[in-house]
Parts: sequence; structure tokens; C-alpha cells
Amino acid sequence: MKLRHYETMFLLHPELNSEDRDEAVEKFSNIITEDGGQIVNIDKWPLKKLAYKVQKQTHGYYVVIDFGAKGATIHELTRNFRLDERVMKFITTKLDDEFDPEEAAKKYEQKEQKEDVQTTETSSDSSEEKEE
Amino acid sequence: MQRPQNRYRRRRIYVRRKICRFCADKSIVLDFKDADLLKHFITERGKILPRRVTGTCAKHQRRLTNAVKKARIMALIPFTSGHALKD
Ligand SMILES: [Zn+2]
Repeated sequence: MKLRHYETMFLLHPELNSEDRDEAVEKFSNIITEDGGQIVNIDKWPLKKLAYKVQKQTHGYYVVIDFGAKGATIHELTRNFRLDERVMKFITTKLDDEFDPEEAAKKYEQKEQKEDVQTTETSSDSSEEKEE
Repeated sequence: MQRPQNRYRRRRIYVRRKICRFCADKSIVLDFKDADLLKHFITERGKILPRRVTGTCAKHQRRLTNAVKKARIMALIPFTSGHALKD
């Protein structure tokens, strides 16, 4: 069946540790791939302050998955997001009716090059220090 | 067609006709995940700025509105200043 190009973003609870978060991301990416979908990119954002409180929380971890999938997969994904207590918010957007994995990947190749330059410049900074 | 009277009618201070930012710079991707970009197009209370203020064209204003609404849903930008968490 034909794949369409989607992007899904979800917000994970701030009290989850790194392993818990990876496990959650793994679960959702498996739902996509096991149903014949193809993942282009997974972007795990660092802990971010929210614009307003969600489930009494002020912060959270955003994850963005860029992928190709069938429409039915989206229903399955949505169902799982709703059931999963680690997920505080989620949204899935159709980017295109057609999915071309190579074309979709290009966006990230360019980004990676740019980020490489940035990370080498700031590599002296100690990572993951909490502000405030 | 430009009417000569036009200048008279404009009683207020002369405001440069702004052009759409997204038309002018095609490299800007209107992405709901880009809260820093969207913040330029909302008021302090979190309301979407009208076209007449920002100069955005109709097509891009429509896309901007959709992006702002998605960003609000995902708590990337506030619905209103009332519930907003301070920076
Ligand atoms: Zn425009």
C-alpha cells in the first residue's frame, strides 16, 4: 500500500529518565516500522520549558519523528499515544501525499552538516548543565 | 492605476507598505515547531497579529495561522498570556 509522508511530534513527561524516554521513542518507531512504514529522522529535543502548564508540569521532552506510513498506521499510532501515560501531548501532520524516502532524507543531510560546524565550535562547553 | 488623491486620503503618518516576509525570503520554512519564528507574529497576549500589521500575504497568513494553532496545541507558544509561564 502507498505510503504518505508524515511528521509526528510528542511531548514526554519531564520526570522520565533518558532510558525511559528512549524506550518510549523505540515503542512508537516500532509501531511505524512494523506496519511497513519507513523512518527518515528522529529528533529528540533537550528538556524544554513549556508555554503553559501541561498536567501540572512546566517542562517536557519533545520528540519529532519524520516518516512515511500508511494511513492506518496513523490510527494505531494515535491510539497508542492516547493510552501511554508517558506522553503528555502529541500531534501528527501529513507533510505530503507522496513519500519519497531519499527526497525526505535530504533535509537532514544539510542540517547535519550545519550542526557539525556548530557543535565543534561549542564542544568546549560542558553538556547538560541545568540552568537556573 | 494610482489615484492622485491617494496621498490626501492617507491622513496618518506614512507607513511603508510592508511586504510578506515569507514571500521575500523563500528560505524561511513556516514550521509550527519554530516557536521563535512564530513569536514575531503574535501579540504579548498571544493573539495572532493581523495581516495589516505584519504585511503577510493572504496565502502565508493562512499557513501562519495553522502553524500558530498547532504550536499552541503543543504548548510551544501560549494560547493566552493568562496561563503562560514566564520566561
Ligand atoms: Zn507571502
